[in-house]
Amino acid sequence: MNLRLMTRRDGLLGIREKLLDFKRRLSDRKMYSIVVVVIAASLIWGISQYKHAADLRQELDNQYNRAFYEMIGYVNNVEVLLLKSMITSTPERTASVLQEAWRNANLAQTNLGQLPVSQPVLANTSKFLTQVGDLAYALNNQNMGGKPLSSEQFETLERLHNLAISLGKSLNDLQNQLSSGRIKWGELADKGTPLFRKTSSKLQLEQFEKIDKTFQDTPKLIYDGPFSDHLVTIEPRGLTGNEINPEQARQKVVEFFGKDKVRSVTDEGKTDTEPIKTYNFKVLFNNVPDDQWASISVTQKGGHILWMLYNRPVDEEKLDVQKAKEAGRKFLESHGYSGMVDTYYLKEDNTATINYAYKQDNVVIYPDLIKVKVALDDGEVVGFESKGYLSAHTVRNIPAPKISEEEARAKINPRMQILSSGLAIIPTNYKTELFTYEFKGKLNNRDFLVYINAENGKEENILMIIDTPNGILTM
Amino acid sequence: MLLEQTTTTKKITKATGKRTKRNRIIGVFLTAAILLAVMITNDGAFTISGLLNLIGLSADTGERIAYAQGGNRASDEQLLARAIHGEARGEPYEGQVAVGAVIINRTRDPKFPKTIAGVIYQPGAFTAVSDGQINIPLKPGSTALKAARDALNGWDPTDGCLYYWNPATATSKWIWSRQIVKKIGKHYFGK
Repeated sequence: MNLRLMTRRDGLLGIREKLLDFKRRLSDRKMYSIVVVVIAASLIWGISQYKHAADLRQELDNQYNRAFYEMIGYVNNVEVLLLKSMITSTPERTASVLQEAWRNANLAQTNLGQLPVSQPVLANTSKFLTQVGDLAYALNNQNMGGKPLSSEQFETLERLHNLAISLGKSLNDLQNQLSSGRIKWGELADKGTPLFRKTSSKLQLEQFEKIDKTFQDTPKLIYDGPFSDHLVTIEPRGLTGNEINPEQARQKVVEFFGKDKVRSVTDEGKTDTEPIKTYNFKVLFNNVPDDQWASISVTQKGGHILWMLYNRPVDEEKLDVQKAKEAGRKFLESHGYSGMVDTYYLKEDNTATINYAYKQDNVVIYPDLIKVKVALDDGEVVGFESKGYLSAHTVRNIPAPKISEEEARAKINPRMQILSSGLAIIPTNYKTELFTYEFKGKLNNRDFLVYINAENGKEENILMIIDTPNGILTM
Repeated sequence: MLLEQTTTTKKITKATGKRTKRNRIIGVFLTAAILLAVMITNDGAFTISGLLNLIGLSADTGERIAYAQGGNRASDEQLLARAIHGEARGEPYEGQVAVGAVIINRTRDPKFPKTIAGVIYQPGAFTAVSDGQINIPLKPGSTALKAARDALNGWDPTDGCLYYWNPATATSKWIWSRQIVKKIGKHYFGK
């Protein structure tokens, strides 16, 4: 028994011996110094990382501060310029002042978008600045044409000016808080300490929210600027027909592709938002694997196809663009869209996206736009987009042009060499339409499209055609 | 006496043995707890790759490439494709086009910056931008560029939406106040 105890004790002692031996070795000077060096190295690395992070934070802070102060500067300018525009006497002078106001409003909004304040908080401020900018732009154009401000427009300017004053004031308050160090951008932008962010930075967010609430009651501006609220819910003119149910929509989908091609149509729900409500489907095709399918959206009113996208890979290019255009045109004809002509095309990924416009009585009507994407391996239509057509298409009462083509030609810069001409209806920035002469010409070896208003001879728009190897694209 | 010594030594060894074992267990639990806390407070780190990202060991953060800002079509395409790739990599094709369409819809809305770069790089707007996923080079065979092109050419599966979020991981309460228009893949799209 004693023997057993002794061996057990030896074993235990063995482990303990080993541990003690290790500890002893650690205490040995050499081990000690190695451990110290390792700890020191980690410390130094840690400190340098921390310092690096602090430097980056500072740089970031500086950027935010720059954006903030620039924004304040521009907002103050906008306020002054709006005031000036109400005082200037001649339309020309008003025009140049408003142009400055537009530029400053744009710059203010750009800098606003660089601040690390969450988007929803700043939404209304951004909207205000954009609307001020657009109004200034629109009125500027009007003034440049020699027309002075109407009393309504004057009142609108006054209202906007007052809003600009209050925005400026709130921003100046905020600036004081920043300069006194009470708020730091870093706290807002710091993702590493979200708890900190939630509590202390709430103060600054609240300040911005307060500013933002001022603009929630901005009256709907009654001008035709591109971002006017009332234009968002424009009634789609091309959306003819009666309301259909999902079953009928499903039929439309099958008709669109052709009964023989379609393997299955799966309901993907409906979208009930204005202005165009739709039923959505997913389509699988015969002899095509399950991972290649088409998404298609059918309007609830009239069963028109709003858009379709078929994600099948197109690996080679066998058709030239002319054949692709033919395929597209045939497709449109067989689907009930007659009178469409191709206007621009873009070749990418072995497909050609062709823009079609409706032509009525020799006038190309650009707003009635349909886009067809043709696969260049076999001419199959793999994409379809008709929102423009459904929004704008109607049979128009096109009057005879008030000026002749020669008169229109005379308005063009004589340096440009004119290659072809025609009539067109073009959309404006303000969602209205203009009846124009369209001239395609060359200047300095670049192609241009010039649009001269057919009713008053004014030059309405100039588009430069960029001939890229991918096709003809305008800018 | 030797026997007494042995017994005391045994008691001490046993006691210290228990203590080191307990300390080890406590150590493991503490580390796990810290890791968990870190993962929860950093949404991006909720996955192993996210955790690796946090420690700076991710293989995914590729080269940082600067993009030209402004209205150039080629650079817009690239930037948009990268954003789509970062935000909607595993999503169905329609979902990728939808993300691109949301970005483009924002450029046309007065509440947002006017350029594609402005919208994408607006601080806090997209998680893929904040955590650097936008800089991941496109994997070969990725449909992100094709989706970007379709979005730039006007296809909009969202019918004008300005917001999208993943209902499973969205942390902002505000986003749920948006009107939901439709769901594509993992994301809700809203106005």
